Amino acid sequence: MNPSVIPALVLLAALVPTAVQAKTIRIEVDGLVCAFCAQGIEKKMKAQPATDKVFVSLEKKVVAVSLKPGQDIADDKLKAEITDAGYVVKGIRRSDESLDDIRKHVKAQK
Amino acid sequence: MLLAPQAAWAKPIAFADGTTVMHERNTNMLETQAFYAPAYWWSLGPGFVRLTSDDKRTRRDIGYVQFNVLAKRWNLPAAQGNLFAFAGAGTVRSTQAGVPGARRDAVWRYGGQGDYETRSIYTSFKVDGYKAAAFSHRITTAQLGVAPYEHDYEDLATWFLLQARHYTGGLRERSPGVRRIEETLLLRLFKGPVWAELGVNRERHTQFMIMYNF
Ligand SMILES: [Cu+2]
Repeated sequence: MNPSVIPALVLLAALVPTAVQAKTIRIEVDGLVCAFCAQGIEKKMKAQPATDKVFVSLEKKVVAVSLKPGQDIADDKLKAEITDAGYVVKGIRRSDESLDDIRKHVKAQK
Repeated sequence: MLLAPQAAWAKPIAFADGTTVMHERNTNMLETQAFYAPAYWWSLGPGFVRLTSDDKRTRRDIGYVQFNVLAKRWNLPAAQGNLFAFAGAGTVRSTQAGVPGARRDAVWRYGGQGDYETRSIYTSFKVDGYKAAAFSHRITTAQLGVAPYEHDYEDLATWFLLQARHYTGGLRERSPGVRRIEETLLLRLFKGPVWAELGVNRERHTQFMIMYNF
């Protein structure tokens, strides 16, 4: 391989994750039973610089966070924040659904 | 008869980096508290409680600072259980009809609470103690609640609760015709950061509570 191509490939590699970056993070959480649980987690998630909006469903035990364009929150950080709030993370998923879509799906499933 | 201080249902810690302000009153009691929780497992704050006997002859004004700790939490897929312990110290100013002046004492507060809840069932058990040179009281409270529907975060939550309370140290048993165990029916409502509760006991005394979390 031509060595002069390598910087270009590195640059491309750095750009690719941004191009396919998720819009929202869906976190499954154990222990969510009342509005105060939700309020505490919402407060923690809103304090993250990459967070745009937060949606919490007690019914689905889900905390959904929409991200600011081009930004993300690492899984370790999410786990640490939810643990610090006093709850247990069961799973983390990223998706391209908007927060409103997630909210609609949750409400429709009720 | 003196009525019990402190609402038993409320958790002394709402959430991490959260502040809880609470006010409760009934014919015998008035209480205001403010707790700040730096982390989800502890909180600290001041409180004031005024206890007045049925015959209005005895009054105790207690100002205190209280420390609350979450000793254990169980996070289950659709339920949560908690064990809290708390301790505090303050001063009490007691006045008695027919006795001139007021008596001042140091007072200690201690207690614990266990609760278990799903989105449709709520149970709690709480012990509340006050100890001073002139008196010692222990108030034990059990609650069982049901929700007619399961609320979600953005909804209004509605609960119906039965509460049973037992008192020691001459708080209740000295009044003739009064049951040793007080039974109260409560309606609990919350939405967003506001929690309100209305109740009536067998002697038809009402109680009211409002709490705000931020
Ligand atoms: Cu809760």
